[in-house]
Amino acid sequence: MRFLALSLGLLTLAAGAYAHHGSANYETDKSITVKGVATGFDFVNPHVQIFWEAKDDAGTVQKWQGELTSPNRLTRVGWTKSTIKPGDSITISGYPTKSGAREIWIQKVVMGSGEELPTGGGN
Amino acid sequence: MRNRVGTFLFAALAGVALSSALPAQTGQQGGSAKPAAASAPAPEHDLSGVWNMHAPPAQRRFFGNTYTAEPPDMTSWGTEKYNAAKPSNGPRTHSLKETDDPVLRQCLPPGTPRIYLQPFPFQIVRTPKEIVMIFEYDHTVRQIFMDGRPHPEDITASYMGHSIGKWDGDTLVVDTVGFNEKTWLDRDGHPHSDQLHVVERFHRVDRDNMTMDLTMEDPKALAKPWKSTLYFQLKPDWDIMELACTDNGAFEDFEK
Repeated sequence: MRFLALSLGLLTLAAGAYAHHGSANYETDKSITVKGVATGFDFVNPHVQIFWEAKDDAGTVQKWQGELTSPNRLTRVGWTKSTIKPGDSITISGYPTKSGAREIWIQKVVMGSGEELPTGGGN
Repeated sequence: MRNRVGTFLFAALAGVALSSALPAQTGQQGGSAKPAAASAPAPEHDLSGVWNMHAPPAQRRFFGNTYTAEPPDMTSWGTEKYNAAKPSNGPRTHSLKETDDPVLRQCLPPGTPRIYLQPFPFQIVRTPKEIVMIFEYDHTVRQIFMDGRPHPEDITASYMGHSIGKWDGDTLVVDTVGFNEKTWLDRDGHPHSDQLHVVERFHRVDRDNMTMDLTMEDPKALAKPWKSTLYFQLKPDWDIMELACTDNGAFEDFEK
């Protein structure tokens, strides 16, 4: 697994790290991007969840999941419970787990159309 | 496994960094508010509306967590409690399975003044008898009695405390005592005792901006008063939504 530390991103997003409980599980000084196809979307408290599948370098399909901020915060920047549907092509960027589990604390969502969705500050 | 960081991500983050630095606001502790663009004048003695925290850039790196960049001066009792606390927010982050944060662990009300650090708006409603704060977080309600009554002599301890308010010119001064010891002052685990005394001075700078000078005194936990200034923006198009703490239980199952 290759990671690229983003010092600029760290400066910007550290406040989000402090506002987000459960951040202990993530490497908040690193970021990864995983492109795949959505399989599920739970618009639930306290953190909205996205589930998707992506092929690894060997071509094997791997299951991923990631968390955003709360439904309330996302609603205020335009999301609904139907914003992501199974089958949607999505590119997810964010903090990887310390454990190596295929989970991401999501900071950026780009739809297949190229539209970037606001993530409510990512916290 | 194919995990790549595209250069586009870097560019996007750089854009976010620049845009977050743009608002020209002062971020000094306890300083006066200098909103980037003044709105219409504030209505007199009326704080009604939905308000959302809007920390100036200098506060953003810690305001999701605590009130000041520098830690408060604590007593030995306070220091001991603080060192023992296992917060999930902030630099001392613990997993949700390990934390003893009373809000995350037991769904207890955050209490005053920690409720302001929960990252959700609140609505102020005015009645002849009281000012009511309806916090989005867990629909927590706070009453500030404006009818001139004093604090009760034999007060019953509570999470939010007993609040009485009065106008000092165009500033609402709220005095709160009568706390239990089940809550933290912030999301970083700073403790308080039942001797906590909170004074809030709300000043509506203009229609769209409000500051609150916060003073926390607690002879058992704090060696000297802990002061900060909180900044809020009016959100005329927002409604308070539901956010039930009890739903958070499912989150622990998610966390590996």
